[in-house]
Amino acid sequence: MDKLKAIIRREYLERVRTKWFIIATLLGPVMFLALTVLPMLFVARTKATVASSNITIIDATGVALGQRVVTEMKDTTDVHPQVSVIAPSDVAAAESLATRAIMSQQRLGYLILDSSTLAGKTARYTGRNTSTVPDMRRISTAVESAVLNMRLEKEGISAARVDSLTKVDIRLEKTQLSSKGREKSGIATSVVGLMMSFLLYIVLLLYGQTVLRSVIEEKSTRVAEVVISSVRPEILMEGKIIGIGCVAVTQLAVWIGSSAWIAANVIPMVLRRNAAASTSAELASAARSSEMLSTLPSFSVGFMVAVLLYFVLGYVFYACLYAAVGSTVNSESEAQQAATPVAMLLVASAIFIQPVALAPQTTLSTVMSMLPFSAPIMMPMRMSITSVPAWEVTTSLIGMALACVAAIWVSARIYRVGLLMYGKRPSLRELFKWLKYS
Amino acid sequence: MTMSDLAIDIRGVTKRYAEHVAVRDLSLQVPSGAVYGLLGPNGAGKTTTIRMILDIIAPDQGTITLFGQRHTEKGVLDRVGYLPEERGLYKKMKVRDVLKFLAQLKGVPAKTADVRINAWLERMSLKTAEKDWGNAKVDELSRGMQQKVQFVGTLLHDPDLVILDEPFSGLDPINAQALKDTVVELKTRGKTVIFSTHIMDNAEKLCDAVCIIANGQKVLDGSMSDVKAAHAGHNVAVAFDGAPSTAVEAILHDTSLVTSVDEQNRFLELELAPGASSGQLLQRLVTAGASLQRFERVQPSLHQIFLEKVGATGIEAGMSGHG
Repeated sequence: MDKLKAIIRREYLERVRTKWFIIATLLGPVMFLALTVLPMLFVARTKATVASSNITIIDATGVALGQRVVTEMKDTTDVHPQVSVIAPSDVAAAESLATRAIMSQQRLGYLILDSSTLAGKTARYTGRNTSTVPDMRRISTAVESAVLNMRLEKEGISAARVDSLTKVDIRLEKTQLSSKGREKSGIATSVVGLMMSFLLYIVLLLYGQTVLRSVIEEKSTRVAEVVISSVRPEILMEGKIIGIGCVAVTQLAVWIGSSAWIAANVIPMVLRRNAAASTSAELASAARSSEMLSTLPSFSVGFMVAVLLYFVLGYVFYACLYAAVGSTVNSESEAQQAATPVAMLLVASAIFIQPVALAPQTTLSTVMSMLPFSAPIMMPMRMSITSVPAWEVTTSLIGMALACVAAIWVSARIYRVGLLMYGKRPSLRELFKWLKYS
Repeated sequence: MTMSDLAIDIRGVTKRYAEHVAVRDLSLQVPSGAVYGLLGPNGAGKTTTIRMILDIIAPDQGTITLFGQRHTEKGVLDRVGYLPEERGLYKKMKVRDVLKFLAQLKGVPAKTADVRINAWLERMSLKTAEKDWGNAKVDELSRGMQQKVQFVGTLLHDPDLVILDEPFSGLDPINAQALKDTVVELKTRGKTVIFSTHIMDNAEKLCDAVCIIANGQKVLDGSMSDVKAAHAGHNVAVAFDGAPSTAVEAILHDTSLVTSVDEQNRFLELELAPGASSGQLLQRLVTAGASLQRFERVQPSLHQIFLEKVGATGIEAGMSGHG
């Protein structure tokens, strides 16, 4: 037991002390900040594009639709588009003039309103900001409202009345209902579920390969022989996997803890600032959706335990496979090739993350969340997005546990023999022979 | 000799691999307190035998007993120190941490290990007033220093049995001398030392007893004096004043009298044919009018015994490789 502890201690301390570990651990919260807070700051900034620049409205409708669009846009922003009213035949000339204005940076873009716009079909916008979604939405909403208002006025409804009738801004509040009656906020849970399964994938891959490198290090520096003259190879493998697993848990704890802290403290602060900076309706709704992303959904204790179990079992499974691969090779360059089958299992699981997230109830999703190699990535995500029957969870956990036992058995045997074998990489047939050695 | 007087008692051990038999029905006894040489050419099965003693690999047949206990019993291997042929340490670890780790693997408590590490580092002059290499990383050390650290790692837990696999390969002369001194010191403290080697000079100087194995089988074993005595009396060193005459040359090539002539720089070493005596040879030489400078019955060197038993091809393979 003391020997096992010594091995675990060494694996843990030697890794936690490295620069690489410290950087990667700190990078986690930085990345989380970049993914959550930056887009929110961006929302605040996109407002500035339209406010500081301007657009030309080329109005060829002959019924002053352009002026109405300007009025509509004034409601939401402090933009003052310039309207140039022209005859339908002069559109081409006006367009080339406006294009020049954009090229010389005087204008951000131009909007063409013509008979097709009046008919409720098309309006054309050309400009430098066509990929800025809020800008485009604002313009198209303004044009739609202007056309609608005009039609309503034709029917004899007063402008003020039109305004009060058309101002509708519904906020859809989404609540997911499971068979157990548990409520979850839809977007938040699936986003967290998606993030979680990517995190599990990354951690399994990262730390599986750490085990691989660690085995190769001991083998190539020949330290392995000294160690296994003191402890059984199984103990060395066990200690190595536990020690590196503790490193993974440490890193995950820092990542999750700091992300939760950012979500609880930094994000609300940014949101308040955003809200204070503008009263615009669009901004508010953008802020609302980011708020939904930021409020962590509350998960039950049972769910947390299940996720932990999937992580532990998944880690043990992959760590064993990587340890076995590591013991059969002589160098890191050889290892990359030899470890491809193991990495493929992980990558194959990662490829299906999105399909499963979009359709968590299909047969594919069910199968992927039951197979031992993909279950640790898929099942926690499915559980967070939809309600998974208890028997499915139990079956996949039992399956994983059995797969782990098999992986431990096979790996320990290969590891024990491989650790002392140098030279040519063993063929599959030789590996099978190793399994039979006493 | 009772069981507990033996540090190692190997009986009928066989280890087979898919393609070949590495060790075949090997039995050997190493008395406590002895310096024992395990000699043999490359691929003879020395390393396999050592690995079986250390329970790194399991024999297919036979038993191995250390200090009167089965070697698989708990705690037995904690009394053994092992320096493998291919040496290595964790390169990125601090010297002190590596040594502490190795000691803990042998069941030495952390505090005891700290004290011993300091004593050893000082003894190996890795810790001086100016510089304490114990706090340096292993890969900051020179090769010679790393060898010292490895050696300390083998002895930190004060083992009763020390197994050194090809300990002299790659050692610089200073470290080789330090190793010899330590072996002698271990012996005076009643420890048992086994080393495998193909360098017969070292074995001859250091060993109380030897075992020669080839092709996984024991060729001979016994105490150094017994082995030498068993092979004594067949070799004669002869030196002449000036070049030997044709008559003398004819005698030297008489196969009923001399089976081989080994030309050394200043003398010839002759191996007498079976049934021929040194007296006969002397008489013939004197009769032929040889002017003798030296005529001496010599004990064969371990090297020659090895050659005789294993064959020239064997030792050449052993010299070029390491096994």
